[in-house]
Amino acid sequence: MASIRLENLVKSFGETVQAVRGVSLEIADGEFVVLVGPSGCGKTTTLHLIAGLERPTSGEVWIGAERVTDWEPGDRNLGMVFQSLALFPHMTVFDNIAFPLMIKKVPPAELGERVRGVATTLHVAHLLDKRPSTLSGGEAQRVALARTIVVKPAAFLMDEPLSSLDAKLRVEMRTELKRLHATLRATFVYVTHDQAEAMTMAHRIVVMDQGRVQQTGPPLAIYNEPANYFVAGFFGIPAMNFIDGELHQASGGSVFQAPALRLALTRSGPSAGGPATLGVRPEHVRLSDGAEGWPAAVSLIEPLGDETLVFLDYGGGTSLVAKASAEDRLAVGDRRRFTLRTDKLVFFASSDGRRIA
Amino acid sequence: MTRPRLAAVLRHGILLVWVLVVLFPVSWMVLTSFKDAGDWVSWPARWLPFVDFQPTLLNYRQIFYLGGTTQSGELRREASEQAYTIWKGVGDSALIVTISSVAALLLGSALAYAISRFRTGGRNYPYTILTIRMLPPIVVAIPMLIYYTSIPELFERLVGVRVEFFDTAYGLILLYVATTLPYVIWMMLAFIDEVPRELEHAARLMGASRLATIRKVVFPLVASGMMVTLLFVFILNWSEFLLALTLSQPRVLTLPVLLNKFQSAVEGRLYGPQAAIGTVVTIPVVILGFLIQKHLVKGFSFGMIRR
Repeated sequence: MASIRLENLVKSFGETVQAVRGVSLEIADGEFVVLVGPSGCGKTTTLHLIAGLERPTSGEVWIGAERVTDWEPGDRNLGMVFQSLALFPHMTVFDNIAFPLMIKKVPPAELGERVRGVATTLHVAHLLDKRPSTLSGGEAQRVALARTIVVKPAAFLMDEPLSSLDAKLRVEMRTELKRLHATLRATFVYVTHDQAEAMTMAHRIVVMDQGRVQQTGPPLAIYNEPANYFVAGFFGIPAMNFIDGELHQASGGSVFQAPALRLALTRSGPSAGGPATLGVRPEHVRLSDGAEGWPAAVSLIEPLGDETLVFLDYGGGTSLVAKASAEDRLAVGDRRRFTLRTDKLVFFASSDGRRIA
Repeated sequence: MTRPRLAAVLRHGILLVWVLVVLFPVSWMVLTSFKDAGDWVSWPARWLPFVDFQPTLLNYRQIFYLGGTTQSGELRREASEQAYTIWKGVGDSALIVTISSVAALLLGSALAYAISRFRTGGRNYPYTILTIRMLPPIVVAIPMLIYYTSIPELFERLVGVRVEFFDTAYGLILLYVATTLPYVIWMMLAFIDEVPRELEHAARLMGASRLATIRKVVFPLVASGMMVTLLFVFILNWSEFLLALTLSQPRVLTLPVLLNKFQSAVEGRLYGPQAAIGTVVTIPVVILGFLIQKHLVKGFSFGMIRR
């Protein structure tokens, strides 16, 4: 078991591409950390730097008390599950799981015992004689995990391991991975572009974009207190509503002024003025029954079963998405008023997307 | 006749004609190998054994002649001025072609791996390699002859040791490796590019060294491709004529060069023994082809490796 520390990691490919631009991160022993971000954000490269599959252009990688920056991948005592699972197609399931033990020259008797043991744990013992190409997606997934677990690595690295599964299986495996983490108590570093995976599994989420860490924190903190415009927009289904406007200082607080929307901020709002973007999550947009709030027309309805997404045209540039109760009888064309939960609003500077309130 | 049926007949008709065109020289060679001297170039041509001509094993007995006593007259040409037996050629060819093909395969596969994984030599390197094959062999043959005859001199003056290249087995092996390397690199590059890098990443994370990864993961996955490449290169070297003609003999004598030798002052061109050798030379290639047919099918259908 081991902690992992990244110090100011930079990785460039050639002269033009800078995949990772100064990532520093501390991952505690036994922690489940999820690196999340859009494709090309540098999360996979960061994982490869931890694994040793790539050498950093500058910066250091520490595993436990060892500085492993220049170590071979095989010497770092890490287990990795790949997006493609990377099972060896020319070997049986048994040989696949036994491969790391064979490399480490484990005696045959012990090898067989350990392979069968881990295969039983992951419910693949009946598949040992099969070839990977004959396995189902879930089975292949378990074999890949078994092959990683069998050597008891200090930390597990996972590169979008569930992305090749169908939606239902993915949710099942998500639970199973979480359970596995609880059993092994090992450090997990998990890379995904799927915010749902990040939210459900992580102790701590590391949001990356353009080769930089945008924010780290527990899932709910990331969701409720996004550090910037990018993080706010990346998390949440449906995405957070953004309204571009301007902040003014007025007597008794500040005022947010946008087309068709004027919002007096009672609580201690942003002290600075100037162009800003208001962010509000759909669940914080309320349809009101009375005369309060702004008028809007319902332009689209998406029932989700337990609740309904309502698209409101209020006269601004884009429509506002609200989460409404499924019992609320709504029809396209209805005219309703809506309010915003002012205690949940967030503001970003239009210039650089940084959160200002 | 319905249209599809007509099309089928037409298609098979064309294919049949094509098969005849392709197989005619081969069958003529085999027929000739069983003919006695008088029947080789007789007109009208003699087609059917036992009907048009009496088949004989004389040609084969000549080329496989091991020495010792024979009934007088039976192997008429044995004492004439030239070597007719095939053994020397078979030995030289087998040695040179096997060593050079295997060496080219191993070297080329390693090179292809380096190019595929590390972009060794830059993006255009594979095309640069191909230029070796852009010259007709005869253009290379004469300069090579000059090199092969002058390098020993140079060596002798510099280090006092004379290393011969002309008319030696390793001289030809070197040349065959050099000339077939581009083929091996290009074919193996296609196969190795198909092997997902994640498989190697996985192996290396599990502690396998780069060499162990290549040996246990990459090469087993491209084994079919290697077999196909080996066969291809083997055939190329097995039938190579011009370079061997220029740079070897009389001490080293490969089969294609031997084939060209059947000339007799008394009887003119000796088509019978020549056809017999031609037939014999073709057999290993056909057998090899059958042996690795399974790999051929696999190797030629790229993109077989999934996951």
